[in-house]
Amino acid sequence: MSRYFQNIYDTLSTLLTGMSITWKHMVNIKRDNVTLQYPEERWPRPERNIGFEHENYNVIRSRLHVDIDDCIGCLKCERACPVDCIKIDTIKAPTRGEDIPDVKHTGETSNGTKKALVVSRFTIDMSECCYCNLCAYPCPEECIFMVGGPNSSKHPIDYEFSEFDRTDLIYQFAKKLSTEEKENLQKPLPEAKA
Amino acid sequence: MTVDTLINWFVTLGDFPVLSFLLAVVISGIPLFLVMALNAMIAVYVERKVSAFMMDRVGPMGQGPGLHAGKWGVLQTAADAIKLLVKEDTVPETSDKFLFKMAPYIIFIGAFLGLAAVPFSSTLQVVDFNVGVFYIIAVGSIGIVGIVMAGWASNNKWSLYGAMRSAAQIISYEIPAGLSIIIPIMMAGTLNIQELIAFQSGSVWGILPNWIIFNNPFSFVAFFTFFISAVAETNRTPFDIPEAESELVAGWMTEYSGFRWAVFFLSEYANMLVVSGLAVAGFLGGWQSPIPGLFNTGLWGLFWFMSKLGFLIFVMMWFRWTFPRLRVDQLMHVCWKVLIPITMFNIFGVGIWKLIFG
Amino acid sequence: MGVVQGDQMILNIGPQHPSTHGVLRLEVMTDGEIVSQIRPHLGYLHRCFEKHSENVTYEQVIPFTDRCDYLASMNSNFGYVVAMEELMEIKVPERVEYIRVIMGELNRIGSHLLALGVYGLDIGAFTPFLYMLRDRERILDMFEYTCGARLLYNYMWIGGVSHDLPKDFETICTDFLDYFEPQIKEYNNLLSFNKIFVERTADVGVIPADVAVSYGVTGPNLRASGVKWDVRKDEPYSIYEKFDFDIPTGTGKFGTLGDCYDRYWVRMLEIKESIKILRQALKEIPSGDVHQALPKKIRPPKGSVYRRTESPRGDLGYYIVSDGTPVPFRVKMRSPAFTALSCLDEVSRGWMISDVIAILGSLDIVLGEIDR
Repeated sequence: MSRYFQNIYDTLSTLLTGMSITWKHMVNIKRDNVTLQYPEERWPRPERNIGFEHENYNVIRSRLHVDIDDCIGCLKCERACPVDCIKIDTIKAPTRGEDIPDVKHTGETSNGTKKALVVSRFTIDMSECCYCNLCAYPCPEECIFMVGGPNSSKHPIDYEFSEFDRTDLIYQFAKKLSTEEKENLQKPLPEAKA
Repeated sequence: MTVDTLINWFVTLGDFPVLSFLLAVVISGIPLFLVMALNAMIAVYVERKVSAFMMDRVGPMGQGPGLHAGKWGVLQTAADAIKLLVKEDTVPETSDKFLFKMAPYIIFIGAFLGLAAVPFSSTLQVVDFNVGVFYIIAVGSIGIVGIVMAGWASNNKWSLYGAMRSAAQIISYEIPAGLSIIIPIMMAGTLNIQELIAFQSGSVWGILPNWIIFNNPFSFVAFFTFFISAVAETNRTPFDIPEAESELVAGWMTEYSGFRWAVFFLSEYANMLVVSGLAVAGFLGGWQSPIPGLFNTGLWGLFWFMSKLGFLIFVMMWFRWTFPRLRVDQLMHVCWKVLIPITMFNIFGVGIWKLIFG
Repeated sequence: MGVVQGDQMILNIGPQHPSTHGVLRLEVMTDGEIVSQIRPHLGYLHRCFEKHSENVTYEQVIPFTDRCDYLASMNSNFGYVVAMEELMEIKVPERVEYIRVIMGELNRIGSHLLALGVYGLDIGAFTPFLYMLRDRERILDMFEYTCGARLLYNYMWIGGVSHDLPKDFETICTDFLDYFEPQIKEYNNLLSFNKIFVERTADVGVIPADVAVSYGVTGPNLRASGVKWDVRKDEPYSIYEKFDFDIPTGTGKFGTLGDCYDRYWVRMLEIKESIKILRQALKEIPSGDVHQALPKKIRPPKGSVYRRTESPRGDLGYYIVSDGTPVPFRVKMRSPAFTALSCLDEVSRGWMISDVIAILGSLDIVLGEIDR
């Protein structure tokens, strides 16, 4: 019999404790609000204090970007990708280290390395990318990276890259050469003939 | 405008009793429907904001009139209402089509009829029944028929579960509700709601208003038992097992979408209004002000009634967002083994109190 | 026409349902409300993890292990990496071990918070879910600061970790722990000691200790039934021997030993133990180079290894067979949630449908791990 009344007392006391907690949260909403009202307030916004500045991040995972002028065509990123979303085709350049303006090929990278290969196709399918960042580590010229964060100086952050058509998510970073241009490249240039 | 005043005014125009009765009923039904719709809109908005604030988030927000959802999101409910009206009307192929279409309206009728007897102020009441309290309790049971119809006609095992549980729940909780509301009737000696409110005028010891809840300890407990049974009547958490979201998808409302669902929604909030109105009228002094003697006239009555009603509805929402839900057999246990003995003991106690203290 | 049992009903808690934790189909035979048999149907989330790992190199398997148990992916990485280092006999620097333990324990807290919050949601309490998720966001912010990702990290590599901790990580983490410990009291007041919650979960779905052991249930589910078994203490890996922490077991606090409330309470206590480990690790962490022991080319010798680690769901085991090439021959993952799901049928006989949902929530399953 006493258990019956003990039960009723327990119920009332625990229910009232619970109600006081939600009341406290309700009246403190101005201080405790954790919502970021997108699209008026976008991340990263300086006033939203999450404790650390996004430029101080070690690494960021977002959209991939390639500075194609720096790419030497070593194919290390293509081999490192676990889901095979990077596809690169290269053609041997007729002379090492010289610009070929017709196909927008620069002879030297920004680090001073002379390029021996012309990149004729560099596509990344972002709809297949699993954002593991394994492609960024092996690149010797640091030309493939994820935008924003510590790389903000090279490319500002971009996380709103959704498209209406899935094929629009296949990014082409190199100018796709037609077969004629490819054949032109492989013919020896007139000046090379001694 | 009460129906009586309207009929009296029609009599001055000429002698057509049947037509004047019909006209009076229709004319006083329109503001009632508006009250129901307005209540649903405001209650939905308040519920979303209150639930959001309790969860450390902001709920529907907007940045200004005409943009998104209005400043503080006030236009959100209007946008939802428009969306529900233009939604496609799906009726399941294998359901019982006639019952499926009838069910929302039966529940609506139950809530609408109950609203006719709620006293918004000393003059604003559609009909002042002689048996007002009895009428509200009786009419409140019409909703069950609609719920069981909805559950059965959907031809869906989930809906059937929800409907069966709801029927058992509502029928069981009518008993403690009825037994608790007997206490104000015993003390005032009348079933008429306006006379019940008039009994609670005046003051006790000069400062405390003479509300029934403050009269004696038994009626204090009776208020809480009535409130808990009222929450169970309207299928709100912690008693929302019929529409338990995480178990039965949406319970007996699973197959309804668009306007039919809006009618269910409207009637759920109207039900909340009716039972809270009865609690305020029976226990908290109705439209009378808490400071005895002051601010008691005219529109102040409406103001006090609305604020007390708003407070009770807020407490119902507070319950919903704080507590988990009870299992079906525990619900029954609470009703039959806890609330009914307490209410019977209360009636006994109030009787003895009145005998001794007059 | 077969024999139709007049009072038996087959109810389908289908793949799309608000409270099966993932895409799980449960075929429940009931008569009205009392359950007589449950048949789970799996495979809706099967993504051929083990077949994929036979075609990619060893370090490319790590993003795939992330996605199996997506709520505790640091621990899934940890298990794979520990097994590989045992196969290749690599000794990692001390700092790497400490970083791995810190990340693993932080992820354990995050996973338990989510499990408890979602359990409250199944029972009907909407608010504690949001509070626990708000605190879990802070843990995810810390992970984002270190390795850029919030849910699927690819952080632990064979022979080390991908990035060193940022300079002010220790202060940030200690601030978080100081903020978080009083929140546990708030959760207890709001949900754990609430009489309605206790009534719903105490005495429901009791798993006796012998049944649990015979089904192979591990982790908090086993400890709640009274068996004191934790891989971190009984077959220690990494540097868990250096830390001082207890193994909480169920005590039948509000009902019988091994019921749903015990499983919930053991997880709550484990959060407190993880906080203890974290504080010790943050104080003692040495300095060093985290990329020192990364091998140039991963070519393990021929052989096989089976190694278990303790993930928030139980005993996570990896069986790796290598034939000398850079591509594994076979990778098998022993998933703890699979065995937990297998004992659902026996435990829920005789209970009602609301109780089936309560028992399923207390077992804390993740479909990604079950279906791989």
